[in-house]
Amino acid sequence: MSEQRQLLSDSVARLFESRTELTWGEIEELGIADVLVAEEHGGSGADWDDACAVLQGAGRWQVPLPLGEAMLARKLMAEASLEVPRSQVSIAPEPAGTLTRAARGWKFSGVLASVPWGRDVDHVITTVEFDEQPHVVVLAVADASVHKTTNLADEPRDDLQFANAAAQAAPAGCREAHNLFDYAALARTAQIAGALQSALELSVGYALERKQFGRPIGQFQAVQQQLALFGAETAAATCASRSAAIAAGTRDVSFEIAAAKLRANQAIGVATAIAHQVHGAIGFTREYALRRATQRLWSWRSEHGNDRYWSERLGRAVIERGADSFWAHLTTDVR
Amino acid sequence: MDAFKFDPVTLPATAPGFRKEIREFLARELPHVPAVRRANCWAVFDAEFSRKLGARGWIGMVWPKRYGGHERSALERYVLLEELLAAGAPVGAHWIADRQSGPNLLRYGSEQQRQKYLPGMARGEILCCIGMSEPGAGSDLAAVRTRAEKLPDGRWRINGQKIWTSNAQHSQLMIALVRTGAVDEKNRHAGLSQFLLELHTPGIRIQPIVDLVGHPGFNEVFFDDVVVGAECLLGTEGEGWKQVTSELSLERSGPERYLSSFALFVELVRLAGRVDSEALRHAVGRLSAELWTLRQMSLSVAGQLAAGEDPMLAAAIVKDLGNTFEQALPGIVQSLIGEDIRLEDDSDLARTLALLLQTSPSFSLRGGTREILRGIVARGLGLR
Repeated sequence: MSEQRQLLSDSVARLFESRTELTWGEIEELGIADVLVAEEHGGSGADWDDACAVLQGAGRWQVPLPLGEAMLARKLMAEASLEVPRSQVSIAPEPAGTLTRAARGWKFSGVLASVPWGRDVDHVITTVEFDEQPHVVVLAVADASVHKTTNLADEPRDDLQFANAAAQAAPAGCREAHNLFDYAALARTAQIAGALQSALELSVGYALERKQFGRPIGQFQAVQQQLALFGAETAAATCASRSAAIAAGTRDVSFEIAAAKLRANQAIGVATAIAHQVHGAIGFTREYALRRATQRLWSWRSEHGNDRYWSERLGRAVIERGADSFWAHLTTDVR
Repeated sequence: MDAFKFDPVTLPATAPGFRKEIREFLARELPHVPAVRRANCWAVFDAEFSRKLGARGWIGMVWPKRYGGHERSALERYVLLEELLAAGAPVGAHWIADRQSGPNLLRYGSEQQRQKYLPGMARGEILCCIGMSEPGAGSDLAAVRTRAEKLPDGRWRINGQKIWTSNAQHSQLMIALVRTGAVDEKNRHAGLSQFLLELHTPGIRIQPIVDLVGHPGFNEVFFDDVVVGAECLLGTEGEGWKQVTSELSLERSGPERYLSSFALFVELVRLAGRVDSEALRHAVGRLSAELWTLRQMSLSVAGQLAAGEDPMLAAAIVKDLGNTFEQALPGIVQSLIGEDIRLEDDSDLARTLALLLQTSPSFSLRGGTREILRGIVARGLGLR
């Protein structure tokens, strides 16, 4: 692990751990929303591997803020040279709308669906085609009519409607802007890995405490074997998320992101089932902490591409490349 | 949970060039290998091919030159292994020597033992088999009852039996785990030792066992008053458990633990290229994601081994997930093929599917059962 990654990991752990009320100001103070922004643009010039470490922490401690979204938004704005006052930001990877030139500046009309914390942020960043070129678009939430919805874990996922709203826009300047949907999935995958880790820790801890038949249930082989499988699935999702993040710094990584999100989605099915089976009834209470991980995991499996979406995309790409090219493609070295 | 360490690995700068060299060699030596022979290829015995690899410097490639090795890096060896497996090369003859017997000798063997056997192993001429399982000692390996008794002149007399020994009938050498001390129920791992046994030694009898598809792949090996010299003890008397545990780490950690069914995956992709089907596309997508993830995990284990660590826990996880993948694949393919493909057909797909349906249940038995591996993982989680 690089020194920088370890430092980041430790500082987010200190900030996130045992904090239920975390403010955006504290995130800004640490500069972690700017880890993907290059140093010449005032960021820390870290890479996706570092971002992945932060986001795993955010998933592990269920940080109730759009951190991954802000990382992407700041990166997109910086690389498109959009000067926007520092504000709380989120993203909309699946916009439905049109960008037009106005006498001064730009106008946007359309719907941004399921914007994380849409109601709470100042600006939302999206990408829209203009003149057959993707543009990074900055919109003020104050100009939108907001339809509030939440995911299963009560995280805001709001629909924002804009009618001829003033926008700032500029041609996309980075890979992330050209494939915002994919990179949003990459960020979510890191959070999934973190949430799996927290559900696993809770489950192991509970199995060591809870006694039945005169001994902790974790001493029964049947329970041990299930938790071992849970551990393996967590390891797979964690390794997949990190491997895709490392590749993300070097080249087009749609294959790696597809594989990582899909693998993490699959882990969610196995892991949440075991987590709740081991916990028994207590896991189904509103009060107990497990649901904070599992409700997020169930939602995140659908967000930024569910299993069907990614298996279709990945399957199609592999089949088009051809059976005899699979191995050569898989072993193209990341450098 | 930091025990689940899967730090990523960067392959050496020489890797792409070496990969190309291997692919060119394989294209020349194995131009048309049918998929059914590519499947589970590290159990396919071909002594002549192994000698060719040996001549090329691709057996024992990380071993010191003075023992016939080539002092290449562990990660270069990993590249070689995954290329051989993906191409379905018949590497079964020398696989055990290269993977565990040779390294075991390097770690615990005497100078004389190393000089006597390693150069022949590296040439692909001395083939090895594993002497662990016995009729009463499968997952419970410490229950071995084959016994070596020290004679007054320092030699050893061995009596007992090994079983499920792959390729014993073709091998020159076995590293056997045997009991040399009394059974201590409080410390069942004490009193065990490893021996290097030349299989032509009088008193050793090898009897093949035909497996369920009709191959005489594994054997029973009987030891009837087999007398060997003191120089046949490997490592330290009584330290057999420690030695065999490190041997098992090598046995479990390689890319063969997820690639045994790879040939069938390739045929599935080929089928999906001919037949437009959403179900096929989705299966290819899911399986590709799994393969990519397993390779990343397997690479990480290789990186830990290369750094001199013992990734027992990570290797157990990769083997468990890898075996699950290898075993799920035949059932998935069977459920997706159309009415026009029958198991009895002579096509590559049908023959490979038929073979793997029948043999893949053994993948989570060999080298440590799924239950034993999950026990190791549970211990890593702090549950045992």
